[in-house]
Amino acid sequence: MKISLRYVVACTAVLMFVCMQPAPAGAQNTQYTIKVMPPGGPAPRLADGHPDLSGHWMPNSAGQGVSGRDGVDPAARMQFDPKVTPEERPVFQPWAEAKIKSMTPLEIELSKSSVNCIPRGVPAIWLQNPYSTVIVQTPVMMAQLYEVLNNWRLIYTDGRPVPRNPEPWFHGTSTTRWDGNTLVVDSTGFDERTFIMPNGWFHSDALHVTERYTRPSMNYLIVEITVDDPKVLAKPWKSAPRRWTLGNGEVYEFYCTNNHELDELGQLKQYESQGK
Amino acid sequence: MTIPRILSAAAVTVGLLLPVAPSFAHHSFAAEFDATKCREFTGTLTKLEWTNPHGFFYVDVKDATGNVQNWSFQTYALITLRRAGTDRQLFLDNIGKEVWVRGCVAKNGRQNYAAAGSLKFASDGVLRQMGQLQD
Repeated sequence: MKISLRYVVACTAVLMFVCMQPAPAGAQNTQYTIKVMPPGGPAPRLADGHPDLSGHWMPNSAGQGVSGRDGVDPAARMQFDPKVTPEERPVFQPWAEAKIKSMTPLEIELSKSSVNCIPRGVPAIWLQNPYSTVIVQTPVMMAQLYEVLNNWRLIYTDGRPVPRNPEPWFHGTSTTRWDGNTLVVDSTGFDERTFIMPNGWFHSDALHVTERYTRPSMNYLIVEITVDDPKVLAKPWKSAPRRWTLGNGEVYEFYCTNNHELDELGQLKQYESQGK
Repeated sequence: MTIPRILSAAAVTVGLLLPVAPSFAHHSFAAEFDATKCREFTGTLTKLEWTNPHGFFYVDVKDATGNVQNWSFQTYALITLRRAGTDRQLFLDNIGKEVWVRGCVAKNGRQNYAAAGSLKFASDGVLRQMGQLQD
Protein backbone atom coordinates (compact mmCIF):
# COMPACT_ATOMS: atom_id res chain seq x y z
CA MET A 1 0.00 0.00 0.00
CA LYS A 2 1.46 3.32 -1.04
CA ILE A 3 0.78 6.22 1.30
CA SER A 4 1.73 9.68 0.09
CA LEU A 5 3.74 12.06 2.25
CA ARG A 6 0.96 14.60 1.87
CA TYR A 7 -1.57 12.15 3.32
CA VAL A 8 0.68 11.41 6.29
CA VAL A 9 1.24 15.12 6.96
CA ALA A 10 -2.49 15.86 6.71
CA CYS A 11 -3.44 13.03 9.06
CA THR A 12 -0.75 14.03 11.54
CA ALA A 13 -1.97 17.60 11.49
CA VAL A 14 -5.55 16.54 12.15
CA LEU A 15 -4.46 14.23 14.96
CA MET A 16 -2.39 16.97 16.57
CA PHE A 17 -5.28 19.37 16.29
CA VAL A 18 -7.70 16.96 17.94
CA CYS A 19 -5.24 16.28 20.73
CA MET A 20 -4.69 19.99 21.30
CA GLN A 21 -8.39 20.70 21.73
CA PRO A 22 -9.44 21.56 25.26
CA ALA A 23 -11.77 19.04 26.82
CA PRO A 24 -15.15 20.63 26.11
CA ALA A 25 -16.90 21.66 29.29
CA GLY A 26 -19.81 19.35 29.81
CA ALA A 27 -18.84 17.19 26.88
CA GLN A 28 -20.17 14.20 28.77
CA ASN A 29 -23.47 15.91 29.31
CA THR A 30 -25.89 14.70 26.69
CA GLN A 31 -28.41 17.44 27.45
CA TYR A 32 -26.65 19.72 24.97
CA THR A 33 -28.14 19.68 21.50
CA ILE A 34 -25.45 21.95 20.06
CA LYS A 35 -21.99 20.56 20.68
CA VAL A 36 -18.36 21.14 19.74
CA MET A 37 -17.81 20.26 16.11
CA PRO A 38 -15.57 17.24 15.33
CA PRO A 39 -12.42 17.88 13.25
CA GLY A 40 -13.95 16.34 10.14
CA GLY A 41 -10.94 14.84 8.38
CA PRO A 42 -8.04 16.42 6.51
CA ALA A 43 -8.25 19.92 5.16
CA PRO A 44 -8.84 20.17 1.40
CA ARG A 45 -6.04 21.44 -0.81
CA LEU A 46 -5.76 23.63 -3.83
CA ALA A 47 -4.28 22.33 -7.07
CA ASP A 48 -0.98 23.97 -6.11
CA GLY A 49 -0.83 21.89 -2.91
CA HIS A 50 -1.56 24.66 -0.44
CA PRO A 51 -4.45 24.25 2.01
CA ASP A 52 -7.78 25.45 0.63
CA LEU A 53 -9.24 27.84 3.20
CA SER A 54 -12.56 28.12 1.35
CA GLY A 55 -15.71 27.63 3.37
CA HIS A 56 -18.56 29.22 5.26
CA TRP A 57 -17.06 29.96 8.66
CA MET A 58 -18.91 30.46 11.94
CA PRO A 59 -17.22 32.39 14.79
CA ASN A 60 -17.54 29.62 17.36
CA SER A 61 -16.76 25.94 17.82
CA ALA A 62 -20.24 24.69 16.90
CA GLY A 63 -20.42 25.02 13.12
CA GLN A 64 -23.77 26.79 13.44
CA GLY A 65 -25.33 29.80 15.14
CA VAL A 66 -25.24 29.72 18.94
CA SER A 67 -26.51 33.17 19.99
CA GLY A 68 -30.05 33.23 21.28
CA ARG A 69 -30.25 29.44 21.33
CA ASP A 70 -30.77 26.98 24.13
CA GLY A 71 -28.99 23.67 24.69
CA VAL A 72 -25.57 24.95 23.64
CA ASP A 73 -22.46 23.41 25.20
CA PRO A 74 -20.54 26.41 26.63
CA ALA A 75 -17.39 25.05 24.94
CA ALA A 76 -19.18 25.27 21.59
CA ARG A 77 -19.76 28.99 22.09
CA MET A 78 -16.04 29.70 22.46
CA GLN A 79 -13.43 30.54 19.86
CA PHE A 80 -10.71 29.65 22.33
CA ASP A 81 -10.46 28.47 25.89
CA PRO A 82 -8.62 31.16 27.89
CA LYS A 83 -7.47 28.50 30.34
CA VAL A 84 -5.73 26.59 27.55
CA THR A 85 -4.61 29.40 25.24
CA PRO A 86 -4.87 32.61 27.27
CA GLU A 87 -4.95 35.81 25.27
CA GLU A 88 -2.44 38.39 26.39
CA ARG A 89 -3.45 41.88 27.44
CA PRO A 90 -2.56 44.80 25.21
CA VAL A 91 0.11 47.07 26.70
CA PHE A 92 -0.60 50.67 25.74
CA GLN A 93 1.57 53.72 25.51
CA PRO A 94 0.74 55.94 28.52
CA TRP A 95 -0.99 58.60 26.41
CA ALA A 96 -3.12 55.97 24.67
CA GLU A 97 -4.13 54.36 27.93
CA ALA A 98 -5.08 57.76 29.32
CA LYS A 99 -7.14 58.51 26.24
CA ILE A 100 -9.05 55.23 26.50
CA LYS A 101 -9.63 55.69 30.23
CA SER A 102 -11.07 59.12 29.59
CA MET A 103 -13.87 57.67 27.46
CA THR A 104 -17.25 57.35 29.15
CA PRO A 105 -19.24 54.12 28.77
CA LEU A 106 -21.56 55.98 26.41
CA GLU A 107 -18.65 57.16 24.26
CA ILE A 108 -17.34 53.61 24.09
CA GLU A 109 -20.79 52.40 23.10
CA LEU A 110 -21.00 54.98 20.33
CA SER A 111 -17.54 53.95 19.07
CA LYS A 112 -18.65 50.36 18.44
CA SER A 113 -19.14 49.39 14.83
CA SER A 114 -22.07 47.27 15.96
CA VAL A 115 -23.73 50.53 17.00
CA ASN A 116 -22.52 53.11 14.49
CA CYS A 117 -22.50 50.70 11.52
CA ILE A 118 -19.05 51.75 10.30
CA PRO A 119 -17.25 48.74 8.79
CA ARG A 120 -15.33 46.82 11.43
CA GLY A 121 -12.20 46.78 9.29
CA VAL A 122 -9.09 44.68 9.83
CA PRO A 123 -8.33 43.21 12.32
CA ALA A 124 -11.67 43.77 14.10
CA ILE A 125 -13.52 41.78 11.46
CA TRP A 126 -11.75 38.72 12.91
CA LEU A 127 -11.79 39.85 16.54
CA GLN A 128 -15.26 41.30 17.11
CA ASN A 129 -17.55 39.76 14.52
CA PRO A 130 -20.40 37.54 15.75
CA TYR A 131 -21.58 36.74 12.23
CA SER A 132 -20.35 34.35 9.58
CA THR A 133 -17.68 34.81 6.91
CA VAL A 134 -17.39 33.05 3.57
CA ILE A 135 -13.89 32.49 2.18
CA VAL A 136 -13.38 31.69 -1.47
CA GLN A 137 -9.76 30.87 -2.24
CA THR A 138 -7.99 30.41 -5.54
CA PRO A 139 -4.25 30.11 -6.22
CA VAL A 140 -4.08 33.86 -6.90
CA MET A 141 -6.65 35.37 -4.57
CA MET A 142 -8.60 34.89 -1.38
CA ALA A 143 -12.02 36.55 -1.22
CA GLN A 144 -13.49 37.14 2.23
CA LEU A 145 -17.23 37.76 2.16
CA TYR A 146 -18.45 39.06 5.50
CA GLU A 147 -22.09 38.64 6.37
CA VAL A 148 -22.02 41.72 8.57
CA LEU A 149 -22.79 44.86 6.53
CA ASN A 150 -22.55 42.76 3.35
CA ASN A 151 -18.89 43.66 3.38
CA TRP A 152 -16.11 42.03 1.35
CA ARG A 153 -12.34 41.98 0.98
CA LEU A 154 -10.02 40.63 -1.70
CA ILE A 155 -6.54 39.51 -0.70
CA TYR A 156 -4.26 38.86 -3.65
CA THR A 157 -1.85 35.97 -3.24
CA ASP A 158 -0.08 36.38 -6.59
CA GLY A 159 2.79 38.44 -5.21
CA ARG A 160 1.77 41.71 -6.78
CA PRO A 161 3.57 44.75 -5.30
CA VAL A 162 1.76 47.04 -2.90
CA PRO A 163 1.98 50.84 -3.07
CA ARG A 164 4.66 52.46 -0.94
CA ASN A 165 2.07 54.70 0.67
CA PRO A 166 -1.28 52.88 0.39
CA GLU A 167 -4.57 54.66 0.74
CA PRO A 168 -6.19 54.29 4.16
CA TRP A 169 -8.74 51.52 3.71
CA PHE A 170 -10.89 49.76 6.26
CA HIS A 171 -9.22 46.48 5.31
CA GLY A 172 -5.79 47.92 4.59
CA THR A 173 -3.55 46.82 1.74
CA SER A 174 -2.12 43.33 2.02
CA THR A 175 0.76 41.14 0.94
CA THR A 176 0.82 37.40 1.51
CA ARG A 177 3.17 34.47 1.85
CA TRP A 178 2.89 30.83 2.82
CA ASP A 179 4.65 29.67 5.97
CA GLY A 180 4.27 25.92 5.55
CA ASN A 181 0.52 25.29 5.74
CA THR A 182 -0.19 28.75 7.14
CA LEU A 183 -1.19 31.70 4.96
CA VAL A 184 0.38 34.84 6.40
CA VAL A 185 -1.24 38.15 5.46
CA ASP A 186 0.55 41.41 6.27
CA SER A 187 -1.46 44.62 5.98
CA THR A 188 -0.84 48.33 6.42
CA GLY A 189 -2.67 51.52 5.45
CA PHE A 190 -5.81 51.57 7.56
CA ASP A 191 -8.71 53.94 8.00
CA GLU A 192 -8.30 55.41 11.48
CA ARG A 193 -11.99 55.37 12.35
CA THR A 194 -11.97 51.71 13.32
CA PHE A 195 -11.28 50.16 16.70
CA ILE A 196 -9.29 46.99 17.37
CA MET A 197 -11.64 45.91 20.15
CA PRO A 198 -15.00 47.30 21.28
CA ASN A 199 -13.50 48.69 24.49
CA GLY A 200 -12.03 51.92 23.17
CA TRP A 201 -8.84 50.35 21.79
CA PHE A 202 -8.17 52.68 18.88
CA HIS A 203 -5.26 52.58 16.44
CA SER A 204 -2.91 54.96 14.66
CA ASP A 205 -1.79 55.39 11.05
CA ALA A 206 1.21 53.17 11.93
CA LEU A 207 -0.98 50.10 12.40
CA HIS A 208 0.49 46.93 10.93
CA VAL A 209 -1.62 43.78 11.15
CA THR A 210 -0.44 40.23 10.58
CA GLU A 211 -3.07 37.54 10.10
CA ARG A 212 -2.11 33.87 10.16
CA TYR A 213 -4.68 31.49 8.66
CA THR A 214 -4.41 27.75 9.22
CA ARG A 215 -6.89 24.99 8.40
CA PRO A 216 -5.83 22.07 10.61
CA SER A 217 -8.77 19.93 9.52
CA MET A 218 -11.83 20.08 7.29
CA ASN A 219 -14.12 21.70 9.87
CA TYR A 220 -11.76 24.19 11.51
CA LEU A 221 -10.09 27.45 10.53
CA ILE A 222 -7.62 29.01 12.97
CA VAL A 223 -7.01 32.75 12.76
CA GLU A 224 -4.24 34.41 14.76
CA ILE A 225 -3.84 38.16 14.72
CA THR A 226 -0.79 40.25 15.60
CA VAL A 227 -1.31 43.99 16.06
CA ASP A 228 1.81 46.11 15.78
CA ASP A 229 1.07 49.78 16.39
CA PRO A 230 4.10 51.45 18.01
CA LYS A 231 2.38 54.81 18.38
CA VAL A 232 -0.38 53.27 20.51
CA LEU A 233 1.05 50.04 21.91
CA ALA A 234 4.20 49.62 24.00
CA LYS A 235 4.72 46.25 22.33
CA PRO A 236 2.93 44.21 19.63
CA TRP A 237 -0.15 42.32 20.76
CA LYS A 238 -0.92 38.77 19.68
CA SER A 239 -4.34 37.18 19.82
CA ALA A 240 -5.08 33.66 20.93
CA PRO A 241 -5.51 31.17 18.08
CA ARG A 242 -9.21 31.71 17.41
CA ARG A 243 -11.30 28.87 16.03
CA TRP A 244 -13.88 29.29 13.30
CA THR A 245 -15.95 26.28 12.29
CA LEU A 246 -17.47 25.18 9.02
CA GLY A 247 -21.09 26.28 8.75
CA ASN A 248 -24.01 24.95 6.80
CA GLY A 249 -23.89 27.45 3.96
CA GLU A 250 -26.75 29.70 5.03
CA VAL A 251 -25.59 33.29 4.63
CA TYR A 252 -27.98 36.15 5.25
CA GLU A 253 -28.16 39.73 4.05
CA PHE A 254 -27.19 42.29 6.65
CA TYR A 255 -27.22 45.89 5.51
CA CYS A 256 -27.19 48.16 8.52
CA THR A 257 -30.09 50.41 7.62
CA ASN A 258 -32.79 52.09 9.69
CA ASN A 259 -30.31 52.26 12.54
CA HIS A 260 -32.21 53.43 15.64
CA GLU A 261 -29.20 52.96 17.88
CA LEU A 262 -27.58 56.32 17.29
CA ASP A 263 -30.87 58.14 17.94
CA GLU A 264 -31.47 56.20 21.14
CA LEU A 265 -27.93 56.74 22.43
CA GLY A 266 -28.02 60.38 21.34
CA GLN A 267 -31.12 60.82 23.50
CA LEU A 268 -29.34 59.07 26.35
CA LYS A 269 -26.44 61.54 26.01
CA GLN A 270 -28.86 64.45 26.32
CA TYR A 271 -30.61 62.75 29.22
CA GLU A 272 -27.32 62.26 31.06
CA SER A 273 -26.16 65.80 30.36
CA GLN A 274 -29.35 67.07 31.95
CA GLY A 275 -28.28 65.25 35.10
CA LYS A 276 -31.20 62.80 35.07
CA MET B 1 -14.34 64.00 39.89
CA THR B 2 -17.99 62.95 40.20
CA ILE B 3 -18.93 59.50 41.40
CA PRO B 4 -20.33 58.46 37.99
CA ARG B 5 -17.07 59.63 36.42
CA ILE B 6 -15.05 57.60 38.90
CA LEU B 7 -17.22 54.56 38.21
CA SER B 8 -16.80 55.07 34.49
CA ALA B 9 -13.03 55.29 34.81
CA ALA B 10 -12.99 52.22 37.02
CA ALA B 11 -15.10 50.28 34.55
CA VAL B 12 -12.83 51.19 31.66
CA THR B 13 -9.73 50.35 33.66
CA VAL B 14 -11.13 46.95 34.54
CA GLY B 15 -12.09 46.44 30.90
CA LEU B 16 -8.56 47.17 29.76
CA LEU B 17 -6.94 44.99 32.37
CA LEU B 18 -9.11 41.98 31.74
CA PRO B 19 -7.94 39.61 29.07
CA VAL B 20 -10.17 39.71 26.05
CA ALA B 21 -12.87 37.12 26.50
CA PRO B 22 -13.63 34.72 23.66
CA SER B 23 -16.99 36.30 23.03
CA PHE B 24 -18.18 39.24 21.05
CA ALA B 25 -19.21 42.42 22.69
CA HIS B 26 -22.16 43.51 20.65
CA HIS B 27 -24.25 46.35 21.90
CA SER B 28 -23.83 46.85 25.57
CA PHE B 29 -27.20 46.24 27.15
CA ALA B 30 -26.08 48.11 30.25
CA ALA B 31 -25.33 51.27 28.31
CA GLU B 32 -28.83 51.64 26.94
CA PHE B 33 -31.18 49.74 29.23
CA ASP B 34 -31.75 49.58 32.96
CA ALA B 35 -31.23 46.08 34.36
CA THR B 36 -32.92 47.18 37.59
CA LYS B 37 -36.14 47.98 35.75
CA CYS B 38 -37.13 44.72 34.14
CA ARG B 39 -40.68 43.41 34.10
CA GLU B 40 -43.07 41.18 32.31
CA PHE B 41 -45.50 42.45 29.71
CA THR B 42 -48.54 40.73 28.25
CA GLY B 43 -50.48 42.24 25.41
CA THR B 44 -51.33 42.17 21.73
CA LEU B 45 -48.65 42.23 19.05
CA THR B 46 -49.42 45.19 16.78
CA LYS B 47 -46.44 45.82 14.51
CA LEU B 48 -43.02 44.56 13.42
CA GLU B 49 -39.99 46.49 12.15
CA TRP B 50 -37.59 43.93 10.69
CA THR B 51 -34.56 46.24 10.61
CA ASN B 52 -30.82 46.09 11.21
CA PRO B 53 -28.80 46.26 13.33
CA HIS B 54 -31.79 45.38 15.55
CA GLY B 55 -35.41 44.52 15.01
CA PHE B 56 -38.34 46.07 16.86
CA PHE B 57 -41.80 44.81 17.65
CA TYR B 58 -44.73 46.64 19.19
CA VAL B 59 -47.23 45.43 21.77
CA ASP B 60 -50.44 46.99 23.11
CA VAL B 61 -50.19 46.53 26.87
CA LYS B 62 -53.06 47.28 29.25
CA ASP B 63 -51.97 48.94 32.49
CA ALA B 64 -53.53 48.54 35.94
CA THR B 65 -56.13 51.23 35.23
CA GLY B 66 -57.19 49.65 31.99
CA ASN B 67 -55.43 52.13 29.72
CA VAL B 68 -53.74 50.61 26.68
CA GLN B 69 -50.19 51.74 25.94
CA ASN B 70 -48.19 50.73 22.90
CA TRP B 71 -44.71 49.51 23.88
CA SER B 72 -41.81 48.95 21.50
CA PHE B 73 -39.18 46.27 22.14
CA GLN B 74 -35.69 45.96 20.71
CA THR B 75 -34.45 42.51 19.65
CA TYR B 76 -31.23 40.79 18.70
CA ALA B 77 -29.90 41.36 15.19
CA LEU B 78 -32.15 39.75 12.62
CA ILE B 79 -29.49 37.25 11.56
CA THR B 80 -29.23 36.02 15.12
CA LEU B 81 -33.00 35.62 15.44
CA ARG B 82 -33.26 33.80 12.14
CA ARG B 83 -30.42 31.39 12.94
CA ALA B 84 -32.15 30.66 16.23
CA GLY B 85 -35.34 29.76 14.37
CA THR B 86 -37.27 32.96 15.09
CA ASP B 87 -38.07 34.46 11.72
CA ARG B 88 -40.12 37.34 10.37
CA GLN B 89 -42.99 35.12 9.31
CA LEU B 90 -43.44 33.94 12.89
CA PHE B 91 -44.04 37.52 14.00
CA LEU B 92 -46.31 38.28 11.07
CA ASP B 93 -48.41 35.20 11.87
CA ASN B 94 -48.87 36.49 15.43
CA ILE B 95 -49.86 40.09 14.75
CA GLY B 96 -53.16 40.76 16.50
CA LYS B 97 -52.54 37.88 18.88
CA GLU B 98 -51.39 37.67 22.49
CA VAL B 99 -47.70 37.78 23.35
CA TRP B 100 -45.74 37.67 26.61
CA VAL B 101 -42.44 39.54 26.88
CA ARG B 102 -39.82 39.99 29.60
CA GLY B 103 -37.85 43.15 29.05
CA CYS B 104 -35.98 46.04 30.66
CA VAL B 105 -36.79 49.69 30.05
CA ALA B 106 -34.55 52.23 28.35
CA LYS B 107 -32.35 54.60 30.31
CA ASN B 108 -32.87 57.55 27.98
CA GLY B 109 -36.28 58.46 29.30
CA ARG B 110 -38.12 57.37 26.20
CA GLN B 111 -41.55 56.21 27.23
CA ASN B 112 -42.78 52.67 26.59
CA TYR B 113 -39.50 51.43 25.16
CA ALA B 114 -37.59 48.36 26.35
CA ALA B 115 -35.13 45.67 25.36
CA ALA B 116 -36.78 42.29 24.97
CA GLY B 117 -34.97 39.46 26.72
CA SER B 118 -37.40 36.64 26.10
CA LEU B 119 -40.78 36.17 24.47
CA LYS B 120 -43.64 33.69 24.19
CA PHE B 121 -46.37 33.79 21.60
CA ALA B 122 -49.64 32.49 23.05
CA SER B 123 -50.13 30.63 19.80
CA ASP B 124 -47.36 28.11 20.50
CA GLY B 125 -46.10 28.84 24.03
CA VAL B 126 -42.45 28.39 23.04
CA LEU B 127 -39.99 30.49 25.08
CA ARG B 128 -37.70 32.33 22.68
CA GLN B 129 -34.59 34.39 23.38
CA MET B 130 -34.98 37.87 21.93
CA GLY B 131 -31.94 39.61 23.36
CA GLN B 132 -29.38 39.57 26.09
CA LEU B 133 -30.81 37.95 29.18
CA GLN B 134 -31.01 40.67 31.74
CA ASP B 135 -31.62 38.75 34.90
